[in-house]
Amino acid sequence: MTTVTADTGSLSWYEASARQRIDALVDAGSFQEFIGPELRETSPHLSIFDLPEQFDDGIVVGRSRLQGSPVLVAAQEGRFMGGAFGEVHGAKLTGLLRAACALHQDVLILFDTGGVRLQEANAGELAIAEIMRAVVEARRAGINVIGLIGGRAGCYGGGSLIAGTCSRLIVSEQGRISVSGPEVIETNRGIEEFDSRDRALVWRTMGGKHRYLIGGADLFVDDEALAFRQAAIDALRGKRGYDKAVLEAEQKRLERRLQRFGEAKDAVEIWQALGLDAPTEIPALPTDAFLRAAGKRENADDAR
Amino acid sequence: MSDWGMQKAALGERLAAGRRHAKGKTVPLPNLPAFLKAVIRSGDRVCLEGDNQKQADILASALANLDPAEVHDLHMVQSGVVLPAHLDIFEKGIARRLDFSYSGPQAARIAKMLFGRKIELGAVHTYLELFARYFIDLTPNVALIAAVSADKDGNLYTGPNTEDTPTVVEATSYKNGLVVAQVTEIVDKVPRVDIPGDLVHFVVEAGRPFYVEPLFTRDPAAITETQILTAMLAIKGIYAPYGVRRLNHGIGFNTAAIELLLPTYGEKLGLKGNICTHFALNPHPTLIPAIENGWVDQIHCFGSEVGMEDYVAARSDIFFTGPDGSLRSNRAFCQTAGLYACDMFIGSTLQIDLEGHSSTVTTSRIAGFGGAPNMGSDPRGRRHPSEPWLKAGAEAAPDAPAALRRGRKLVVQIGETFGDRNAPLFVERLDALELARALNLDLAPVMVYSDDVTHIVTEEGIANLLMCRTKDEREQAIRGVAGYTDIGRARDPKLVEQLRQRGVIRRPEDLGIDPLDADRRLLAARSIKDLMLASGGLYRPPSRFRNW
Repeated sequence: MTTVTADTGSLSWYEASARQRIDALVDAGSFQEFIGPELRETSPHLSIFDLPEQFDDGIVVGRSRLQGSPVLVAAQEGRFMGGAFGEVHGAKLTGLLRAACALHQDVLILFDTGGVRLQEANAGELAIAEIMRAVVEARRAGINVIGLIGGRAGCYGGGSLIAGTCSRLIVSEQGRISVSGPEVIETNRGIEEFDSRDRALVWRTMGGKHRYLIGGADLFVDDEALAFRQAAIDALRGKRGYDKAVLEAEQKRLERRLQRFGEAKDAVEIWQALGLDAPTEIPALPTDAFLRAAGKRENADDAR
Repeated sequence: MSDWGMQKAALGERLAAGRRHAKGKTVPLPNLPAFLKAVIRSGDRVCLEGDNQKQADILASALANLDPAEVHDLHMVQSGVVLPAHLDIFEKGIARRLDFSYSGPQAARIAKMLFGRKIELGAVHTYLELFARYFIDLTPNVALIAAVSADKDGNLYTGPNTEDTPTVVEATSYKNGLVVAQVTEIVDKVPRVDIPGDLVHFVVEAGRPFYVEPLFTRDPAAITETQILTAMLAIKGIYAPYGVRRLNHGIGFNTAAIELLLPTYGEKLGLKGNICTHFALNPHPTLIPAIENGWVDQIHCFGSEVGMEDYVAARSDIFFTGPDGSLRSNRAFCQTAGLYACDMFIGSTLQIDLEGHSSTVTTSRIAGFGGAPNMGSDPRGRRHPSEPWLKAGAEAAPDAPAALRRGRKLVVQIGETFGDRNAPLFVERLDALELARALNLDLAPVMVYSDDVTHIVTEEGIANLLMCRTKDEREQAIRGVAGYTDIGRARDPKLVEQLRQRGVIRRPEDLGIDPLDADRRLLAARSIKDLMLASGGLYRPPSRFRNW
């Protein structure tokens, strides 16, 4: 009767730490960290606010191999300050992306972030801009930058903007992608606009299934480290260009999406408009059934 | 010549006044304000059914909308002060005096109103205590209760959340009081008769279900590894050696962790069938994996839990259900069962002092007691033996002759040395004392008294207070598991080490537990979705708990 308990042998991506995710994602023993915690490159801002620091500033970056091929990896630690971007945290990712250009190696970004740290907002916002530029430059140089989203903190704020520039996004049901978080929307627009405590609403508006259905993510996987690994291998296959034609196609796709769904009051209306069978059942479907039901989803391929 | 029928005559007058606004027993919703004004008299003792979970919300709002010039000085006797309307009644001057048990969601406001003298407080009770007083000196003149459906004769179906209703109706109706029920709908035939119609005088069709709070749903995703460690310590260090089969769990995350460790860690220790077979417990969603794995024989419930209805109905071998299939809960019976027929209570708390008194009160909040002090106390009237009860009794008084020695109920307080927002669990002085001083109360609101508590479990280990022989030993045993709190750091290391040698304090390593094994992967469910899947889709969690 072990089927009724959670599978204690597998690693839940949602539950795992940044380092556990990297260990399970890349080829065993292949990861070499850059600027590891032993260097104690901590935030210069947090101590001013009497806040605890972390020796890796909440992000792990380094080189490794995936199925034998070299790949650079960055993983945010959602359990440290909600994975938020600060000066050092951001600089480590910017540096990794610039290294990708120099080494001509693909990059995996394991997002787990609420956005920019309020305590180092200016440095954090600058970091977001630098990272987006670095992603674009890497992609112009023919490098794949893949985002993996399924952590506890989701992928919010500046993190979601960076995700928007990636060549491919892999998401699980637990993953959430959105610029503004539920509490921010409720605070600014009222509980009538968005009830942040209604978790089912949060997930069907920002969660992995919805993002996949409207073309906000490219690959949908189970909340399993091995599923993320396989999807990363698949996502790295083939190179995609990144030129004016691609961007124009993306602009057209987004305009069409807005036209089709702009009036919808709830995600379920969008799923209905997509022509999915039994749209209200979507949140409850297991992965296989969901992927079958998602046949009519908006494509996400034009720009990525 | 005395008139021995004055109460019956008064009831007759109320009935006649009420009938002017009713059709038979049915009061149309628009007539409710006029009806209540007609049947309630100033100075009445009123039980407005506010239970731990279900609320007679329509009747509460209607009562709060009465004109205090016409109806005032009510004495409210109700177990739960839960809805804002429950306190609006006092704010507006409709009611003056209050006797209650639990006020979770209104804890801050009720404290403010007590400080502001808006409420004249009778006492804060445990559930059983208040129920008992319904039959002695707090019998209601009017009871405003909640049910799922009624027929035209007033027979009521309460659904899974029967809770306090039979007790309230028994005390009110048989002592010439008036009983008014709000129901979702009036039907030709109720699915089962929970309250016979001849005890119910009037029925209001609300057109929507009464409000009910999901109080017992703990999201496994929020369980920490420290809580898992405390759960492992409790299972291996208390459940197993005492062989605790009959018990009650609190609603905190530590006990939720215990429930979720049974099919994994408990299974590994070979404890299935030897512990946790019989519960007095609400249908906790976190118990689903243990039930599905065959750990549990039987559960009697105080109330139900939102979303668990179909699951419970499908597991009638485990739960008490009616001929209609749905759960029959009953708070008074279940509290009695928890008091007398359980060998252990284990629950979390907010503050423990050096003697072992514990309290969930903070200076600005009065959450009341609910049932915990009854669950967490040694019933002196108990006479039937059981292995854990006898063993605990022997530990407390090893030299007493066995046949004349009382057993002891195991009363276990479990928590992390630093709780929510890093507040220390252990304190020199309970905030409850400050509150009692400020409000001029005779008694400080203590949840579990020091002479009832037998064990304290933290991530630092287990303190067995049964084996402490002096006040000093007891204090050092508590300091010994208080970790890096100020209380813990002021321990006498030599004495604590001696207590450890005697097994009064047991550290994780003394029990063969490696703290690094306390991993979330040990949980039989790590999310609400896992619970839903474990139930075969029968558990339907409310929207706010779903992350899908």
